[in-house]
Amino acid sequence: MTGLLNIVADPATFATVLRVMTPLLIAALGILISDRAGVFNLGMEGMMLTGALVGVLVSAWTGSAWLGLLAAVVAGGLMGALMAFAVNTLGANLIITGIAMNLAASSGTTLGLFFATGDKGMSGALKSGVMPSIDLPLLGSIPVIGPFVSGHNVLTYGALLAVPLVSLMMARTAFGLRIRAVGVDPKAAATVGISVKLIQLKALILSGVLGGIAGAYLSMGYVSWFAQDMTAGRGFIAIAIEVMGMGTAWGTLAATVVIAIAETLAITMQTLGLPNELMQMIPYVVPIVILTIWTARGRAKRAALK
Amino acid sequence: MNRAFLAGLVRFAITLAVIGAVLLAVLIPFALPHEHPGTVIAAFLFGPLSSLRHLGNVAEYATPIAFTGLAATVVFRSGLFNLGIESGVFLGGLAATTAALLLPSFGPFTPLVAIVVGAVVGSISCIVPGELRLRWEAPEMVTSLVLNFAILYAGVFFLNYYLRDPAAGSLMSYRIPADAKLDRLLAGTRLNSGAIVALVACLAGGVWLYFTRSGLNLRIVGQGPVFASHLGLPSRRIIMQAQIVGGMIAGMAGAIQVLGLYPRFSWTQLPGLGWTGIIIAILARENPFYVVPAALFLGYLQVGGDFLARDIGIPSEVVGLITAAIMLAVTATAIFQHPAVLRLIRRIRQVEAAR
Repeated sequence: MTGLLNIVADPATFATVLRVMTPLLIAALGILISDRAGVFNLGMEGMMLTGALVGVLVSAWTGSAWLGLLAAVVAGGLMGALMAFAVNTLGANLIITGIAMNLAASSGTTLGLFFATGDKGMSGALKSGVMPSIDLPLLGSIPVIGPFVSGHNVLTYGALLAVPLVSLMMARTAFGLRIRAVGVDPKAAATVGISVKLIQLKALILSGVLGGIAGAYLSMGYVSWFAQDMTAGRGFIAIAIEVMGMGTAWGTLAATVVIAIAETLAITMQTLGLPNELMQMIPYVVPIVILTIWTARGRAKRAALK
Repeated sequence: MNRAFLAGLVRFAITLAVIGAVLLAVLIPFALPHEHPGTVIAAFLFGPLSSLRHLGNVAEYATPIAFTGLAATVVFRSGLFNLGIESGVFLGGLAATTAALLLPSFGPFTPLVAIVVGAVVGSISCIVPGELRLRWEAPEMVTSLVLNFAILYAGVFFLNYYLRDPAAGSLMSYRIPADAKLDRLLAGTRLNSGAIVALVACLAGGVWLYFTRSGLNLRIVGQGPVFASHLGLPSRRIIMQAQIVGGMIAGMAGAIQVLGLYPRFSWTQLPGLGWTGIIIAILARENPFYVVPAALFLGYLQVGGDFLARDIGIPSEVVGLITAAIMLAVTATAIFQHPAVLRLIRRIRQVEAAR
């Protein structure tokens, strides 16, 4: 038991939670923006995967992790634009488009890696960059708390900062209001002169940009290489997180924390000798349970109001 | 000729043209850097048709995805977007392996018993999200999406602790006994008797959906839930039945894949056959009769991809890009509901009516 206590009070455990959280939070915020605009981004998994590969390739090619991140942002944004084109111009089904994006990204990144390195599995031979960690100047020197809050990856701070930013954008800006209007009732939004297609295009580009960043964190922060299908369903967990967060940025943060703690628990319990496959199930079972409880409670409430 | 048939032929011709255009649009950029671009495209398009053995390979690829295509069709027809078929395949394969290894031999019925076990266990993956949806309104798309991974890790745990052959180099089960394996049909390929079962299952599925009362009820519930409730149909029970049947077909797909093709069970990732099944259901316009040609077509693409990989050195993942593009193109209402197309179809109908 003291073993478990030591793990909980360890700054390293806290750092693991943050490491696990970062890509999930960024991706879930991206899904949130698309969801509120009425164009649920099921292709997040593929956008992350694309961002992860492009980040590694460009950072290896230019020697700069930041340029890699920029390229991942552009790639993610382009995929978002492509998705908007497929849905709004071609008139393809939204969910099918998302599945197609995931399939195309899974095959496309394998092809891209092969043509860039001659290897289909991993980018280990490439000298790709890693996003830097930041030591906070004042906060970091505080005893006890310092080691907890300082020294994390720059994208981790970025992800945490994105929560209030997205929340403000959705609640307090004209763009956020238009996104919500389009999501609630596209026809009503159109009658007051909002271009539904343009708003959805922008929302999906933004969603893709966040997906690209989340992917770049995976291959240039979480680890320092690209591997085939390395997102391993994180885009899908992010979807579950967004739904658990009920479409708000702060709710998404709370849901991410729950899932990240579950996954960290899984990682640390493996070191205590519990079967690692069963522990790996935890982050996937938790959203099912929570979602079911919430929807069941929502229904009970509605029934009570009748 | 029948008017509706002619009008349908227009749609079919457009679908073929769109698929052809997408194929060339994706292939040409890969072919151009090559010395003889024509040979690249020829290898892809004509390689799979070049011998009986390669045609057998096409059918071999088509077998499991015909099952998952049928499973997706049945599930989607109920109006639920249940993605549990992906892990249903995994679970079905694992359960069939378990049955083949642990149950005594039933003589010639051994494969049948293993497949039934696989189907029953595999159906759990679709039943759980369906039940959560019907009972508590939990969104089935999200729960099935994450449940797929939960089932995967539970299955890998079971494989590691109960079926693992310690003598084998990596994580895989003991050898599947010979009497549990399906008969091979064509020398030089892994085409097995499962292909016949797949064909029969799709035809039976089509007859059920279009020529029986319960199939009609399912179509009503899926397309018009409100209308169904006005009719007094037991919607919940009908939807649940579709999840069970769809899940069982997915489980059969996994069982037949493992018993027909592999010496041991060695899946440690989701096999992806469920996602392919969704693509097939879309290509087949959720019609079981069309599932067989759609599955054969994707099998043909896959063998074409193998030719590219073996003869030209382009990874067969190109097929994934082609499939994704086809998915978008054949569901694009901008093409299939284009005013010109609709006008053409209407004119054909009027001309026929005037005669």
